[in-house]
Amino acid sequence: MLLTKTLRSSTLRLAFIYVILFSAAIFGLLGYVYWSTARYLSEISDRAISAESALLTKAYEAGGRDGLVKFINRRLTDVHFNDWVYLLVDNSFDYVAGNLKRWPALLRGDGGWSTIAAADWQAKAAKPQTLRATYQVLPDGHHLLLGQDTADLDRFGGRVTIGLASAAFLFLVLAAAAGISTSRRSVARIEAINMTSREIMRSGLGERIPLRGTGDEWDGLADNLNSMLDRIEELVETNRQVSDNVAHDLRTPLTRMRGRLERALNQQLDVGHYRSLVNDTISDLDEILTTFSSLLRISQIEARDRTAAFRNIDLSEIVREVVELFEPTAEERAVRLKVFARETVSVVGDRDLLFDAISNLVDNAIKHGGDRREISVAVARCAEGPILSIGDRGPGIPIEERNHVLRRFYRLERSRNRPGNGLGLSLVAAVAGLHGAHIIMADNSPGLRIELHFPNPRRAAPSSSNQQEQPWAIGLQRP
Amino acid sequence: MAGRARHVLVIEDDAETGEQLVDCLKSSGYDVDLAVDGEDGLRRALAADYIVMTVDRMLPRIDGIEIIRRLRAEGIVTPALILSALGEVDDRVRGLRAGGDDYLVKPFAFREMLARVDALARRSATMVKETMLRIGDLEIDLLARVARRRGREIELLPREFRLLAYLARNGGQAVSRTMLLQHVWDLHFDPTTNVIDVYVGRIRRKIDSGQDYPLIHTIRGIGFCLRAPD
Repeated sequence: MLLTKTLRSSTLRLAFIYVILFSAAIFGLLGYVYWSTARYLSEISDRAISAESALLTKAYEAGGRDGLVKFINRRLTDVHFNDWVYLLVDNSFDYVAGNLKRWPALLRGDGGWSTIAAADWQAKAAKPQTLRATYQVLPDGHHLLLGQDTADLDRFGGRVTIGLASAAFLFLVLAAAAGISTSRRSVARIEAINMTSREIMRSGLGERIPLRGTGDEWDGLADNLNSMLDRIEELVETNRQVSDNVAHDLRTPLTRMRGRLERALNQQLDVGHYRSLVNDTISDLDEILTTFSSLLRISQIEARDRTAAFRNIDLSEIVREVVELFEPTAEERAVRLKVFARETVSVVGDRDLLFDAISNLVDNAIKHGGDRREISVAVARCAEGPILSIGDRGPGIPIEERNHVLRRFYRLERSRNRPGNGLGLSLVAAVAGLHGAHIIMADNSPGLRIELHFPNPRRAAPSSSNQQEQPWAIGLQRP
Repeated sequence: MAGRARHVLVIEDDAETGEQLVDCLKSSGYDVDLAVDGEDGLRRALAADYIVMTVDRMLPRIDGIEIIRRLRAEGIVTPALILSALGEVDDRVRGLRAGGDDYLVKPFAFREMLARVDALARRSATMVKETMLRIGDLEIDLLARVARRRGREIELLPREFRLLAYLARNGGQAVSRTMLLQHVWDLHFDPTTNVIDVYVGRIRRKIDSGQDYPLIHTIRGIGFCLRAPD
């Protein structure tokens, strides 16, 4: 199983391609070394032959034919020259002197170089297989052949060939072993990941990929996949809680409505009663629909690509508009709205959503702002980016509840009996997340101050990765 | 506005919703044609002259947005009210508001739907640019951006003036809170609080207090209406 996977693995295929490429390069290099060495050696040999030939010519010029014969015979008894071949024949190619019996039939011309396989050795002579030779016609019609055994050269060539062949063999074996072991290793790690994935598909999100603790790239991958699984598990958990809350928040009014309708069906009522019953049912339905729409809206905002409707907008202007809209409401409840949003502070965002989110924050501050009726709304431009802050003088939110209030349907104990569906701050969180803004809840001593820290519009282009905004959004929804 | 001038096309694939829409529009005096799918709707819209049409966002075969796109390509400018179940964050529907069309998120109150069809029908019927609006003894000068009642100038903030002018343009007809938010603030979401009511309340105090009769009326379940007594 693992073997077939190894053989089919892309790592192995890649390893083989590399082996072939490297082999070609190495063989090319070694071949060149062999070729140039052989050439060098044969040049040296040719030069030695030329030198010896010059000596022979000199002996001939000094002592004529007899002098030459004497020189040759002296050479034949010299052990240093026993790999040399000498032959002097007369003009009808009959033997005169030397260690070859007969003139090779191939060499009939006036002279030159040749590499020949020689036969017809004198009994005493060494018997080289091939020899490198030069031959010439002397002025008196005699032919002279001088050669040297190439066995050394051939032996060298043979050794190089064997060396190259065994190196190549060793190289291929090692490369194949390395390729297979690397592939086996990666296939084994991938198989571990695959097994975990299958396990997750079968039994749930509890499984994690085992780490080897080597800190290598495979551990890095496994670690990332594991964190991804953690994140998914968290999201699923959050989702489940939201579904539970939805079920609760929708079932309650639905039960009320169902009971009411059932009673109406069983009882005889007058027209006035029916009317008020239908009216109550419609307003209950509207309440459900409002909750449902808010929930859907939050999900849609969370799922949205943030680039689509984003423009460069002035945060101060939006704040002034929100405050203007809420001015009469604040006045009616005897709340003082203080605004600090004079200068232009631009953010990249969606005006509708920001307006909605800021409205929610101001609305919350007016509703839950306690008895000391003063709310301040401020926009500031900091080095890190624009900051929007909304502070009230109310009872605030206990530190341990601050993270929970952004969750859907979460309501503080003291405000359970007031109107609202517990989705306002979730919407704010979703809008902030879409804009890459952080939500900070601080003590306004006394009261609550909610700050939205936007990313610097110059540094954070709206198309930048979602990575930066997501962690906190999820982190804050963590139960 | 009689005869064909009150002709409305409803493109809706859900039979019961379609019937309800037709009933509702008929009872308020419109002639109504019902198309049950996108192709039928497109054919009818191309063939006859309607003052308004309501188009379901998601239809079998041809999608609602596509119908409007093709009609506009043919030069037919009948204003459309898109009925969308996808919510306000639906970017494609948001894109259409620039073209003068309107949209309503399903489910909706029929009175809200009627208010919007009325507004679209009126825009389609009267394209004349008016500069002076009169409702009872209230005068609104759109050029000078001044409102007077019985000749006395009323001090209004710019936004308050815009709101009053919008109510006046729809004189006699109900305008919903969402419509106000759309046209006066250029915002597209459903206000979940009564903040608009309180805002209108302040304008009402400026307009109506100390006068012979009230002009701004709250219409229960919908919104507001600027109307002089008969």
